[in-house]
Amino acid sequence: MRTLRGRLYLLVILGGAVSALGCKKQTPPAESGSADTAAAAPAPAAPEAFAVSEVTLGKAIGADKKVASPTTTFGPKDTIYASVATTGSAPSKTLTAKWTFQDGQTVKEGSETIAPTGPAVTAFHIEKKTGWPVGKYKVEISADGTPATTKDFEVKK
Amino acid sequence: MPDSKQPKADFSDVEGGSSSTAPAPSGQSYTVVKGDSLSKIAKHFYGDAQKWRKIYEANRNEIKNPDLIYPGQTFTIPDA
Repeated sequence: MRTLRGRLYLLVILGGAVSALGCKKQTPPAESGSADTAAAAPAPAAPEAFAVSEVTLGKAIGADKKVASPTTTFGPKDTIYASVATTGSAPSKTLTAKWTFQDGQTVKEGSETIAPTGPAVTAFHIEKKTGWPVGKYKVEISADGTPATTKDFEVKK
Repeated sequence: MPDSKQPKADFSDVEGGSSSTAPAPSGQSYTVVKGDSLSKIAKHFYGDAQKWRKIYEANRNEIKNPDLIYPGQTFTIPDA
């Protein structure tokens, strides 16, 4: 009897252990809960593509590189600013301003390489100590060599 | 109608520059001041005037002649 009782006792203990193991197997792993949470969370917004949004001309810019008083008419002794507003981000973008005279002559070409992380303003300027010839000019803005926009202006006496 | 005998406008003395609120991709930028040369700038940033060509190559669209740089020009200074 003792032997039989002992065996029964052992079976009860083993049975309990197996049940415990079984319960443990049914418990969902912590990782699956985390994965579900991640899937339910909204995906991070894709970075906005870089683009030239606006070009403004003027005789002066502020600390924010923006033209305070936009104009397209200048005097011979004026410094001419082109304020280029851009949106979006890029690891590296080269903005180029090509200034040309009415006869097609290139007046000046300048570039600025930037790594914008959002809206930015890039300013270009030209000046001529001996005075600008009267006439019509234009500035062409390009990004990485691709023309983005053109702005016409005039120099009057 | 423009006069064909009118001399062509001279823009050789035009100076220009640029600046931005956006950061430069890497390295730094430098705006030329009176008395600068590429060697002098290279000496300042790299401690070696002989490395002027590095600045020249990074700014080829801005520098037509490495012996002629102008106040107001802004150059990208590549990492050493």
